[in-house]
This record gives sequence, C-alpha cells and structure tokens, in this order.
Amino acid sequence: MNSLERILAALQNQPADRPAFLLNASLYGARLTGASLEDHYNQAAVYAEGQMAIRETFSPDLLLSPFFIPALGEAFGSRLGTRPRQAPNVAGFAASTAEEMLQLPLPDVDGHPRLLYLRETIRILAKTYAGQVPIFGALVSPADLPPLVIGLEAWLDALLFRPAVAQALLDRLTPFFVALGKAMFSDGATGLALTANLANGFIITEAVADSLLLPNLRTALAELPGPVVFHHGGCPLVDQLARFQDLPNVVAYVIDAHEDLGAARRALGPGPVVMGNLDGAGLVHLRPEEVDHLCERAFAQRGADRQFILATSGADIQFDTPPECLAAITEAVCRTGGVET
Amino acid sequence: MDRNYPQELLKAIEQADRARAAAVIDAWAIGRPFDRVVPELLSPVLETFGKNWAVGLGGVSLATGYVASKVAEDVLARLLLESDTASGAQPSRGPVVLGNVEDDFHPLGRKMVAAFLRADGWIVHDLGVDVSAEQFVDKAVETGARAIGASAMMFTTAKNVAKIRSEIDRRGLNGRLQLAVGGAVFKLRPELVAEFGGDGTAASAVEASPLFESLVQRSRVFDGTAGAASR
Repeated sequence: MNSLERILAALQNQPADRPAFLLNASLYGARLTGASLEDHYNQAAVYAEGQMAIRETFSPDLLLSPFFIPALGEAFGSRLGTRPRQAPNVAGFAASTAEEMLQLPLPDVDGHPRLLYLRETIRILAKTYAGQVPIFGALVSPADLPPLVIGLEAWLDALLFRPAVAQALLDRLTPFFVALGKAMFSDGATGLALTANLANGFIITEAVADSLLLPNLRTALAELPGPVVFHHGGCPLVDQLARFQDLPNVVAYVIDAHEDLGAARRALGPGPVVMGNLDGAGLVHLRPEEVDHLCERAFAQRGADRQFILATSGADIQFDTPPECLAAITEAVCRTGGVET
Repeated sequence: MDRNYPQELLKAIEQADRARAAAVIDAWAIGRPFDRVVPELLSPVLETFGKNWAVGLGGVSLATGYVASKVAEDVLARLLLESDTASGAQPSRGPVVLGNVEDDFHPLGRKMVAAFLRADGWIVHDLGVDVSAEQFVDKAVETGARAIGASAMMFTTAKNVAKIRSEIDRRGLNGRLQLAVGGAVFKLRPELVAEFGGDGTAASAVEASPLFESLVQRSRVFDGTAGAASR
C-alpha cells in the first residue's frame, strides 16, 4: 500500500498493511536539509524540500504545509520575530482591539506574498506526491485569527464583553478563511489541518462558544470543499469532543498527548478517525526506546480500531530532536504492521 | 434572608459575568467600608476560584480566569478612586517584578497574575513581554523586590528562565532574590521549574499571591530578616 491508500483505508475503516502515521515535522525539515530558517519560512521550494527530506527519511503518511500559524497574523500586518532554531512568532500585533481589526483590509489570498508562500508549498508537494502521499494545508478557524492580529486578551475582551463587535469580526473573517481554505484545496491539498482553540471550553465559556463560536465554525467548515482534520491545538480535546462532533467536513480529530485514544473513540463513536497521541515537542527529551514505548502505549490504547492514525500531537517537533527518535516511530509502525522499515 | 455574597460573586465570575460581579460587590459594600472588600470578599472568592481552576473543575476556563482578573482590576480601580476617603489603605506586601521571558510574546497570563497580585496588596513592577534576564534583575535590585515572576508559554521560550537564574547567581543574589515561574509549559511539565532554576510555581494565576508570599518569606529567612514582616 502507498500512503494515500493507507490513509483512505483508515478513513473507510478498512484493513491496512501497517498503521498510518503523521509527524508534525514542519520545522524539522530545515534540520534535514540544512537550509536556513529564513529560507525555510520564506521560500516555498526550500520548505517543500524539507518535507520531501522528512518523507524520504521517516516515511510518514501525510505531509504538511508550513505549521506556521503566525504567518496568517503577518498577512494582516502583525510583525514577526525570528528566533534561532524555531519558527518565527508574532512579536507585534497589527491592531489593538477588535474594532481596529475590523478596519484592517483582508489579505488577498491570491496576491499576498505570505499567503502565496503557504499555497506554493502545497502546490509543489501535491505535484511531487500526487496519488502517493496526502498533503494537508495548515489553517486556523476564523475565531483563531484575531489572537494573531490583536492578541488573545483583546479578543477575549470582545468575545466576553462586546459580543456584537466579536460577531461582526467573525462575519468579516469567515469569507477570508473560506477563500484561503478553498485556495489550498485548489492548489492540491488533500485536506486541511485545522485548529479551533477559541471554541474549546478550556479557553472560552460555554455560553460564548454556543452562541458565537460554534455556529461560526460550523458555517465556515460547511463552505470548504474537502476533508478537515480537527487538531487540538494545545488544548485538551477529549472532554470537548461531544461539542465538536459532527462538524461539517471533519473526518479526523487529533487529541493531546496527555489524552487517551480509547477515550476519544468512546466519546466520538464509530466514524471519524482518531489521531495522536505522541508528544511531538517533547520528543527532544526522550531516548528512542522511550519513544518506542509511547508508540506501543498508543497502539494498546487504540486496540483493534482501524480508524486510527498515530500522530505527534501538540506543537512542532523541535529542531534539536534526535533523528533516532523519529526513526523509532517509523520502526514501531512497521513492526506493528509486520512490514519492512 | 441574608445574601451569600461570596457564593454570588463566585458564580458571577464562573459565568464570566463581569457586570453581575460588579453588582454583587456594590451590594456587599452597602453599609460596609469599601476598603474591606479585598480581605473580606474578593480574596476568599478568588482563593476558591483558584482552587477550582487548578484542578480543572468544569466550567472554569481561561476566559473565566480573565474575567476574574478584570473583576480584581475593577475593585482596585475603585479602591484607588476612593483612597482619599477610605478609612485605611490596604497595607503593602512589598514589591515584585513581573515579565514574560526573552522571546516570549504571550502576555495574557502575566497580566492576569499582575491583576491578582495587585488586588492582594503587592506593588507590581510589570516589565511586559520579551524581557531580558538583565532587565529582570536590574528592576528587582532597583525596587528592592525579593521576588521575580517570569512567564513563558512554550518550552522553547521557557528555556530562557535559565538565563534569569544565571543572572541572579552571577550577581550573588541567590537566596535573597527568589524566582517564580509560570505559564502553560510549567503546568504541563512541572519538572521544568527546577530544571530551569525556578524557585516555585503556582497552579493558576489566582494562586500567585500565596506563592510570592512564601518566596518572600524564604528570602527573608535567607538574609535573617524573617521577623521583620512587611504587612
């Protein structure tokens, strides 16, 4: 089986030669290629070479566009700060209130250099791996855009105390989200990997989630022309799955590393794929045998569940993670499937 | 029937209802000196809220924590407004220095800690985001603070806490100047507190005040002034 067939098997509850797996190795590609992070996060071809190196070295079954969410903030005018051995992050916001953000022009999906960079990575990877490896575009929900542009505090302030302004901003951002999502699909993305932290009860009150954020999320997702992987984004998700279940186009859920895959299945029932639960950012602290143990734990939790994809959860795999730790994941899935590494 | 003001205030905060929290406080203040609102109403309620938050009790979210900090700020603003007529200002617990570590630009948690500390009588010198180790220690020396609170959200920036530890040690202030650390990464991986040289952490922003109290007490024991309490 190739990777695309393996992923389709998981989605369709069919047997596969081995468990499929995902490495959130957006940054790590630069380690393998030796490219500067400036080039990696500005030149689509350089980034794509990094993902190809990830594929050649570790054989994950999905590849990602840059897990570089601050880029979306930059497209709205936020300033990025660079840091050694890490992806750039927002270092200065484009505006200070939701009202101010309402006045900002929406970035042109077909013209803004930063968005074109993200899209071009998908085009290159999709062309390279057509029919072999699914390519997923990384995106955030409309409600998760304002923290990148005005900061979380200002956005919470609007959501909690000025709901009409928050609603107006969501209404303005949703067409942008849909346009970018559709563009990623037209570029060749197999699906989107989406975080929607602001709708999570760990972050926001149930009242605001139910009145503003979940209806918006449902509307926005319904506009997309393809499948979506719902990523926990750093928040606990299993206790929230009942609220996020049956979202339009969502076919899989990535849970946190501290959560149980079996519990996620019980919460979701049959149907969607469950993904997780290796601590991607924490791999840097582990020895390969410890990584192997975590893989075995994940396989034990999923039991006979075929609708499962082993995945690193949480943040990007860190630059300094020993490659042997990632190779240990590959070896574990191959051993489990009884196939050669 | 007597109203249960602490219960009402707690419920208002847990429902993220800032206006109702203000109304409960207003009602409590009828016939009472407003400068007693912190020790008699706000602090006990925040303590309960903090415990619920720390154990992840249902209904407590980052948003309700944010509202709690806003309620504390509202009370402080009113106390400042009424300070000319108040029967006695709240005694100070002393100065502390707060900031996000170098390369960290996630200010929300730090601002909430600042609000809760101020509500509990601390003089907070808030240095903002992306603060270097030297700036932290310079401000502590300048203000006579016995404790620094350093906030970091992610592992990659939390590593910069170690730079503050080194700077404290380099200037011979170990023991005298205590280092509190906080942020999501320390909650997920508490072993990092010691690994990066922190002297303590709190399970939630609301619990920062008792943490700083214990660290300041430790500092006083270190330099032999433990009997000379400041409050």
